[in-house]
Amino acid sequence: MAVAVVIVDDNARFRVRARMCLEADGYAVVAEAADARSGLEAARRHRPDIVLLDIELPDMSGLELAELLTREPGAPAVVLTSTHDAADFGERVSRSGACGFVPKGALSGDAISALVP
Amino acid sequence: MVSHPRTEQAVARSLAQTADPRYALRRALRAIGESLGWRLGAVWEPATDAPETLTCVETWHAADIDAHEFEAASRRMSLAAGEGLPGRVWQSEEPAWVSDVVADANFPRRAAARRAGLHAGFCFPIRSARGVLGVIEFFTGEPRELDAELLGTMAALGDQIGQAVERRGDAEVLRAGEARLRAMLDAALDCVVTMDSEGCVLAFIPAAERTFGYASGEAVGRDMAELIIPPELRERHRRGLARYLATESPVLLDRRLEITGMRADGKTFPVELTITRIDVPGPPTFTGYLRDITDRKAAEADLRASRARIVEAADEARRRLERDLHDGAQQRLVELALDLRMARTRLDEEPARARELLDAALGDLEEATRELRELARGIHPAALTDGGLRPALEALAARSSVPAQLVAVPDMRFAAQVEAAAYFSVAEGLTNAARHAAAANVEVEVVQVNGALHVEVRDDGRGGAEADAGSGLRGLADRVAALDGELVVVSPESGGTVVRVEIPCES
Repeated sequence: MAVAVVIVDDNARFRVRARMCLEADGYAVVAEAADARSGLEAARRHRPDIVLLDIELPDMSGLELAELLTREPGAPAVVLTSTHDAADFGERVSRSGACGFVPKGALSGDAISALVP
Repeated sequence: MVSHPRTEQAVARSLAQTADPRYALRRALRAIGESLGWRLGAVWEPATDAPETLTCVETWHAADIDAHEFEAASRRMSLAAGEGLPGRVWQSEEPAWVSDVVADANFPRRAAARRAGLHAGFCFPIRSARGVLGVIEFFTGEPRELDAELLGTMAALGDQIGQAVERRGDAEVLRAGEARLRAMLDAALDCVVTMDSEGCVLAFIPAAERTFGYASGEAVGRDMAELIIPPELRERHRRGLARYLATESPVLLDRRLEITGMRADGKTFPVELTITRIDVPGPPTFTGYLRDITDRKAAEADLRASRARIVEAADEARRRLERDLHDGAQQRLVELALDLRMARTRLDEEPARARELLDAALGDLEEATRELRELARGIHPAALTDGGLRPALEALAARSSVPAQLVAVPDMRFAAQVEAAAYFSVAEGLTNAARHAAAANVEVEVVQVNGALHVEVRDDGRGGAEADAGSGLRGLADRVAALDGELVVVSPESGGTVVRVEIPCES
């Protein structure tokens, strides 16, 4: 069975490309969300294996959402992403509970699978 | 022995009646001559430009003699110590008597004396605490032997006249000095207030009247603290005064302080103050020099606020730049990277899909290029740097969403910051016309007049804009103020807005 992914990003153009990209590499994108609140709901409802999570969301930082998500029972693996570089966020990426960071321009199924345990 | 009470009284009266020392001498001379019945008298004083010689400064003669030649000879003459009758008396500081000056070898004016019919003469010093101020001489119509009693009386009168003249002189100098000081203080812009050791006002000059709102008559004699110090600061003032009087330790003396003053209506305002102690015998008195610095404080606050706004505007511009880059060109480039990567993976198996992805990538690239171009122009228009105001404003007018006419634009170049301020004035005016005024037409006019660049943007929109309403206009006002220029927004509710900017410049 394909690995299930929820994409949380406020930029619709990015979500379209991320879905295409991941699906081409054999992932199943089970839901998309444009903000943190609906992202959390989607994760609870669909219980995906992976949440691809943009750090800059309109209602909450993706770093905070990563903490919430990874504290849930049966938590998904969280992969953070951003137009910025991971270094721009310092230690906060590693402390957030996420399993890794992919720059948006470098997103691919391989990049994700390399991070997820 | 003849006494001369009449002469003494006449001299005393003449001295008492006038404050002017020169006039007092003239009257004393006449009083002596008339009361004695002598014919001619003169006053000799050290010359102002040559104090080692005597000159004749006053003469008096009886009405029935022709003294013209003798007086003229006297006034022409300057006598050294010991020379002639006046010189002798000046040197010896003692009165002297000559039975007949016409026969005296030490009397240079004897020829003139003979022709005027003058013979016996006496002379006495005008003595004061400061020494001999001058001498007075008298002559009569016939030779006469020494009258020791008369000479003694005259010597005593000389002392009396000397003391009176000296007192008058001091008083006169004092009065003149006081009048000068008073004139200076009356014209002063700063307030000068003097206070005694009890804290009571001694003097309150016109500048203080204007600043604090009390007439000098109301202020003098009142407790200074009650008058010009706000209630909450009075206790501190009184404690400071008491401490100074007890210890003489000058905590505040001769230092420039900024404190709060209070006007007659109770309003407080910032004051710059220096207190000095007036060095006179007795309990100390103090002078305060106060200056109302309300305007200066307001100007300083304006300057600080404007500086802070300029810094804030620069920070805000950087934040906006980051946001624009992040949300714009950077997103497009990320999408481009994803499109290209997907196209590559499909190149062999789905070439048609790969072509679609490559087309999308080209679209992303075009969009990123356009966004970067606009961003760069917004930061600083290249046309302005390269070609000056005309090409930059032509490009700006061409891109304006409200039709804009350039009525006048100078072709010459100005300092970069002047050109930038003019350009952004027009840009702000056009933005305002499009965004807020709902204008149908805008006119732009830039002309150089008398060393200043005048920029005007006139729209036909709804009006009612204010210069300090939007951050755009306020930022522009700060930019213009930094160049000593001025921004005015005329925007009546009846419609139409004129943004008028004047910037000092040299082409």
